Amino acid sequence: MNTVNLIIGLGVAMPNEIFNEMKNGAANRPEYQVVVDWLERNGIEALQSRRDEAEALFRRIGITFAVYGEGGDPDRLIPFDMIPRIFNAHEWEKIESGSIQRARALNCFIADVYGSQDIVKAGIVPKAMVAENPAWLARMNGFRPPRDVWAHIVGVDLVRTGPDEFFVLEDNCRIPSGVSYVLQNREVMSRMFPDLFRDGRIRPVDGYSDILAEAMKSVAPPNCAGAPTMAILTPGQFNSAYFEHSFLADMMGIELVEGPDLLVENQKVYMRTTHGFEQVHVIYRRIDDDFLDPKAFRKDSMIGVAGLMDAMMAGNVTLVNMPGTGVADDKGVYIFVPEMIRFYLGEEPIIPNVQTFRCDQPDDFGYVMDNLAELVVKEVQGSGGYGMLIGPTSTKAEIAEFAEKLKAAPSNYIAQPTLSLSAAPVLTEEGLVPRHVDLRPFVVSGASTRMVPSGLSRVALREGSLVVNSSQGGGVKDTWVLSKGAN
Amino acid sequence: MLSRTAEGLFWMGRYIERMENVARLLDAGRRLDNLPRDTPEAHSEWSSIIVASGATSTFPSPLDEATAQTVADHLIRDIENPSSILSCIEAARTNAKAVRNAITAEVWEAINDTRAQLRVHLDQEHDRKNLVDFLDWVRMRGGLALGKIESTMLRDDSSQFTKLGKWFERADATARLLDVKYHVLLPEATDVGGGLDYLQWVQILRAANSAVAFRHLYSRVVDPQGVVDLLVLNDVSPRSLVTALTEIRISLERLASPLAVQQELVRQAVVAENTLRATENHDIFNQGLHTWLTEFIVATNAMAQQTSSAFGFGGDTLSFSQNETQ
Repeated sequence: MNTVNLIIGLGVAMPNEIFNEMKNGAANRPEYQVVVDWLERNGIEALQSRRDEAEALFRRIGITFAVYGEGGDPDRLIPFDMIPRIFNAHEWEKIESGSIQRARALNCFIADVYGSQDIVKAGIVPKAMVAENPAWLARMNGFRPPRDVWAHIVGVDLVRTGPDEFFVLEDNCRIPSGVSYVLQNREVMSRMFPDLFRDGRIRPVDGYSDILAEAMKSVAPPNCAGAPTMAILTPGQFNSAYFEHSFLADMMGIELVEGPDLLVENQKVYMRTTHGFEQVHVIYRRIDDDFLDPKAFRKDSMIGVAGLMDAMMAGNVTLVNMPGTGVADDKGVYIFVPEMIRFYLGEEPIIPNVQTFRCDQPDDFGYVMDNLAELVVKEVQGSGGYGMLIGPTSTKAEIAEFAEKLKAAPSNYIAQPTLSLSAAPVLTEEGLVPRHVDLRPFVVSGASTRMVPSGLSRVALREGSLVVNSSQGGGVKDTWVLSKGAN
Repeated sequence: MLSRTAEGLFWMGRYIERMENVARLLDAGRRLDNLPRDTPEAHSEWSSIIVASGATSTFPSPLDEATAQTVADHLIRDIENPSSILSCIEAARTNAKAVRNAITAEVWEAINDTRAQLRVHLDQEHDRKNLVDFLDWVRMRGGLALGKIESTMLRDDSSQFTKLGKWFERADATARLLDVKYHVLLPEATDVGGGLDYLQWVQILRAANSAVAFRHLYSRVVDPQGVVDLLVLNDVSPRSLVTALTEIRISLERLASPLAVQQELVRQAVVAENTLRATENHDIFNQGLHTWLTEFIVATNAMAQQTSSAFGFGGDTLSFSQNETQ
């Protein structure tokens, strides 16, 4: 869940059932008319040569993710598709309000879970879902972060099945990544197709770093009197998302620090600078909870900062996101998010969940066992697509083998029906072809909850593939949101 | 600035400069090798290049068996040698990547492209002809990166730390290049001052890119006193030791905060520069050029060490209690 990599474990459908985001029957949807016009004027070869230019640009800027242990150059490019994915203002309104609603409810839930646990008392979420959740951190119990914001950055993974049908596939409340691609994809697109951006109908995304910086400032710890000093904490340059950490620090004009750069003294956090030690107040940490503080969590962590948790508890530093937010984003808790929205916000969910069967419920379990070939089965605690079964693409033997694992520990699993995922046009050697896409918008919470009008669109580049995972041939697209009345 | 960033910039500067200097050393070796000799078995120029580059401990065969080929291999492509051109480029790039936010895109591209192109160069064997071309390429790439640092980076602490690394490295490299002459044996003691001795000094000058400068400045036949004057004491030379110590002092003055350890460092840099300025050519030869250079190298390295600890990187980083100004 914390990685750029994610498998869309849903949906195998006949091509004619797939919603093509560019088409309305045989006609092009109006949102895509600018792209169609450009192609008619310039031809597909021009697009292909622009793609080569774009690739060279990505490589030169150094927008790569690192893959170690597979040999070859560890710095890989994420395949970038030149056809933008386009949402009109109406579609975006729904995505935006639905994602913000979700992030607000999740934050209420985390605060509640580490507080009075009203939602458990009300009988909505089972106690075990909290008490036995490995991501629940006992030491956070009773803690109240500034403004009661826990997950300052939430990535909501969405899929689409029709003109007005969106589903939430997964929430990412820990340290969701990928936003740098949103910003860089746009940068590259605007350089490759300046004429398409000229009339200002595509809403800009540059505000992200300001929104994030404002949010971080607004959650300065109680003991910080003046303007807070902020930093991004990275595991280091061998981390696959290092480019993103460094890019965001640069955009926000704050330091990119590694564990050894920080030191805790008298429950205050300092960074080692060339002018001595300087106190840090807000840390956007891109290190998992487990590795954050060897004094509090894993003792063997070489990338954390000893005493960081004490400093946070003492009100001298704010961590973004807060430790323990993973309690809200496993696949078991996911089922209850619509109820959370009703319980905390008194609203109806704007974007629904995918129907989910809980294998720990006897009725659901029976249904799942009878329909394995049609379903996607996932581990409740699994992340990044490991330990899952995609029924429709698995062999009988694989299904039988998985059924045994399922029988042995039903409560470890949930199952979902296969959805007919939407497809977007992708440039290949054969021209434009439809490929499955998902969307991860980023919701930022501080004094207010905000989004930039875009998100990370990940696309499966192989025909029929549902895998948008970057290490398995998945790519990314620039995601455009059109201003009102722009279609 | 983060101490770790300063460290990355410092070593990025050092390794870019070092890669160029290793190329210069190899070029000196090639030129010395070409000189006429009465006794063909005396190939001390190649072992002297290994000694001067500080690679005696990593050189894989006995030093007196060093040949053009084994020395070139060790100094160009041997990853076991931390100062080989390959190692220098890798290290420069690793440091540049770690401080990517503190350098400009053009500096990054100059270094990153150098590393990409090096792979192509290393795929071919280096015979005598293309060795020269390769060494030229290395010097051009080094110059490109240093030029991009000069012309595109803000003239703030980030470029100062990079320059500091460059000048510490250059001081070390010029001293080592001069010392090559000590290690290249003359067939007979009486040959000192003779034709071969003269030719060897000329090759040292050439490797330091200073042969033409010598003629412009001194209008006389190359002699050891003149070479030492140009490469040690002359403010006009971009490679002289006094130029390096002056630049180091200027950078340290700009970088130092009121922290006591940093003020102390500046004082020492001023002393080092003034001492060198007060040194006369004959003082050096009276002490013995090799001994004098050895002392200079040790003292300069000690100052580099002190620089890294004063700014919070390197082995002895600042402790919290030293966070005091004076």
